[in-house]
Order: sequence, then structure tokens, then C-alpha cells
Amino acid sequence: MKIDCRGLACPEPVINTKKSLDLLDDNALLEVLVDSNASRENVIRFANNEGLSVSDEITEDGSVKITIVKGFACSVVDPDGDKFLNKVLFIKDDKVGEGELGSKLIVGFLKSILELPKLPKTVICVNKGIYLTTKNTAAVEILQELEKKGVEIFSCGVCLDFYEVSDELKVGVVGNAYGTVESLLNSDGTISL
Amino acid sequence: MEASNEDASVYRLDDERALVQTVDYITPVVDDPYIYGQIAAANSLSDVFAMGADVATALNLVGFDGCNHKAEVLNEILQGGLSKVQECGGIIVGGHTIETPEMTYGLSVAGFVHPKKIYRNNTPRVGDVLILTKPIGMGVLTTGIKADMLDAKAVEKTADILAQLNYKASLIMRDFDVSACTDVTGFGLAGHAYEMSGKNFTIEFDFNSIPIISEAIELANMGIIPAGTYANQEYVSLHVEVKKEYQNEIFFYDAQTSGGLLIAVKESDTIGLVKRLKDAGYEYSSIVAVLKEFSGTSLVLR
Repeated sequence: MKIDCRGLACPEPVINTKKSLDLLDDNALLEVLVDSNASRENVIRFANNEGLSVSDEITEDGSVKITIVKGFACSVVDPDGDKFLNKVLFIKDDKVGEGELGSKLIVGFLKSILELPKLPKTVICVNKGIYLTTKNTAAVEILQELEKKGVEIFSCGVCLDFYEVSDELKVGVVGNAYGTVESLLNSDGTISL
Repeated sequence: MEASNEDASVYRLDDERALVQTVDYITPVVDDPYIYGQIAAANSLSDVFAMGADVATALNLVGFDGCNHKAEVLNEILQGGLSKVQECGGIIVGGHTIETPEMTYGLSVAGFVHPKKIYRNNTPRVGDVLILTKPIGMGVLTTGIKADMLDAKAVEKTADILAQLNYKASLIMRDFDVSACTDVTGFGLAGHAYEMSGKNFTIEFDFNSIPIISEAIELANMGIIPAGTYANQEYVSLHVEVKKEYQNEIFFYDAQTSGGLLIAVKESDTIGLVKRLKDAGYEYSSIVAVLKEFSGTSLVLR
């Protein structure tokens, strides 16, 4: 973002800088153009006091261009970032592999996730995967635990209808194709089962 | 009597009396019109007190922004001004109002002083001590009020200091061995001290002893400093030898509105004068500097 504070008297350049920084996302640049030493000193003081990195240069016409970086690239903290991995668990079946072993494995797998220091942000169940949020009591209990910890759990609406278990959803909410695709594309990674 | 560098003009009438005249006006520094009137009046009257004179009469000088303010606002401002003129025993004898795009208010003041008892601003003595009667930071604070970055309590504190007359301080100093006096206004503490040195003395300031309002320090760190303060720094710092760096050094140059008196007094009178000032309500009164033989620079900051 660029703002022109030339010709403005104190404290306006600082106020405008503050307002613009409030609008900016972290790690964005703000360029402030000023034409007096007082404005230059004040804007730089303000940025320093906010702990932002700031530099200035004289432009061709004799004005001063002050560049402020909002936030620090190496230390930006996402408030939820500590708790969750930005990953989606995409479950297409109620088993991992075939037969009875497959059923046991999926429950064991979900249980292990509970123990992880960082949980996946989202769990999406499609096709037979929706049995894990409806009829499979052991899986439902584990998913309910995950939901309590803030994990988003979606079950595919079309799939619930197809297997005629729409009334039996016991954890999470019904998801749609758009939301599912959006989650998959926005995550840093998808684990597909 | 010629006195081009003085705070006010002085005209000798006879052996007993000299006429002191001064004029000043300011734009609003607070939202409350009555308090603005008080502050503008205190600011205008101050030069008379710095000369050691007594206020006789005052005329209102008003630039009224009738497009944005009701007539009652004008009345409130004038009432505020009147209250301050009455406080120091003066009377308002008239005035003049014009329509202006921005509000201004102040006074043209006339006072009297004995011709031999005038306090000049550049006649201190080596060995004298400088006392400041009000805290520094008003330039930053009034800029903070304009920026809407001061809470109500801090605004009130600022307004109280701004509206305080230098009247009693002027009366009190006349009881002591005072060699020079000025009031600290637009040129800041450094600028007015530089004037006092007259390039004949070196005035050595102890920066830590200069009273600075804490809210002002916070604002200054955020870059709420008026252009006038930077202009003072640019000009006066050429005459300052900095022996130790201070983070808030900018306050040495902060442009004051309705600032305190800067009094050069004999060292042995210092304690008595500071005590009397504090008892009279100038709670921030402090010893800020000592007068030395000229050593190459007018001001020293240590």
C-alpha cells in the first residue's frame, strides 16, 4: 500500500500511517510519502515504537519515501497455528484395507491421531467413510473427542443420502462438494485414506 | 526604552512607572470552549508576568469560526478568558471579533512595572541557578489531543497545567534575588534558555531534573511531536553541547504553549524560592540548570 502524506501537518501523517497499517495484512509493505523532516521523524518513531522494520530514502523530487514492513516474516504467529496442522484428513472408506483387520485399523488410526501434539485442522468423510460419523460407534467416540478439541469434521451429504444414514449423523456437520474442494486446496497437505 | 528581544514591550512613563504591552493568540488546544478561553488568556498574560509586571487591562482578540460553531461557544471562550484576567486582578476593557475560517483567541494586555524592577530575559549572573515552574511536554500533549490519542484524565491534567497563570510565580519571585526571567513558550526550554544565555553565559542543564509529563513521553515515542518542536531542535541544537545522550532529548526543544517561568536566581535563594512556588500550586517547580562562564557553547546538556 502507498499513502501520500505530503503537505500534511503533525499529527496527521502518523495517524494516516497507523490507520493504513491497521488495514494491512501481516508481512505487507506500507510506503509513506512525506515532505517534511518533522513528518519523517514522527513516522519513523511510530514504526520503531511499534517494533516494525522501517527504512527511508529521498525520492527524485526531494520528498522522503518511508517503507514500513508490517510484522516479521520469521515470527508471525497464527493464533491457531500452535494447535493445528493445516492439513486435511480425507477418508473415503470405513476401513484401512480389506476385511475385519481394515475396520480395526481405521479405529486405531483415528485413536492415534488423538495422541498427536498437533491435530489436523479438518476431517472429511466421503463415500463409505461416512459410516465413521454415523454407525461405527467406536469411531464416532474418537471423532467426538477430536471435535471437542476444535477439529472440523464434515460428512459428505450426498454420501449420507446414498447410504440412507442422513438421520444418524452423530458427529460433525454435513459438508458439500464446494466446501470439501476448498478445504483440500487451501490446506498445506491432504492425507487420504 | 528599547527591548527588542524581550517578552513584552516596555515604555517608560515616568520614574515610577513603565507600561508593559504584549499580544498573543492561539488556535484551540482543547475541545471545551471555556477551558480554551482560560488557556489562551493564561498564554497571553504570561509575558507580563515574566517581566515582573502587574496586569492592568486586557482586550479580547477573537477570530470566530461562525460557520462551524454556535454563538454560545464564543460566549464560553470569552467567559474563560475573563476568569483568568480577573484572577490576576486585571479588567477586560473591550476587544474585537472578526470572522475567520479557524478559531483564534487571545488578549492584548497592558500592565505596569517600576522601571527599575523590570526582569529582563538575558541578564543572569554566573553562579545563578535556573528554576522552571511548569513541566515540559505541552507541545507533544496538545498534538496528542488533536490526534485524539489522550484519555480524558490526561487531557484534564494537561488543561490544568496550561490554564495555570504565571501570576503567583511572578509575585513570589519578586521576594528573592532574581537576576533574569522569561516564560517558556514556542521556542521550547532550549530556545528560551539560549536567549537567556545571550551568548555571554553557558547554561548547564541536568536533563534528568527537567520535569516532563509521562504521558507526553509515551506520545513522543509514537511520533506525536509537533513540527515546531523539530524546527526548534534544528535551530537551537547548533548551540547545545550534548555531554550525554538521552532518549527523550527532543523534549529539551518541545514547543510549549502557556509554559512556566524560567527564573535565574541566586543559588542561596533556591530552596526558599522552590518551596514558595510549590506551596503556591506550582508543584512541578524544579532546579533545572546552573549559569556558568561562557565556555564556547551557550547550552550544555548533561
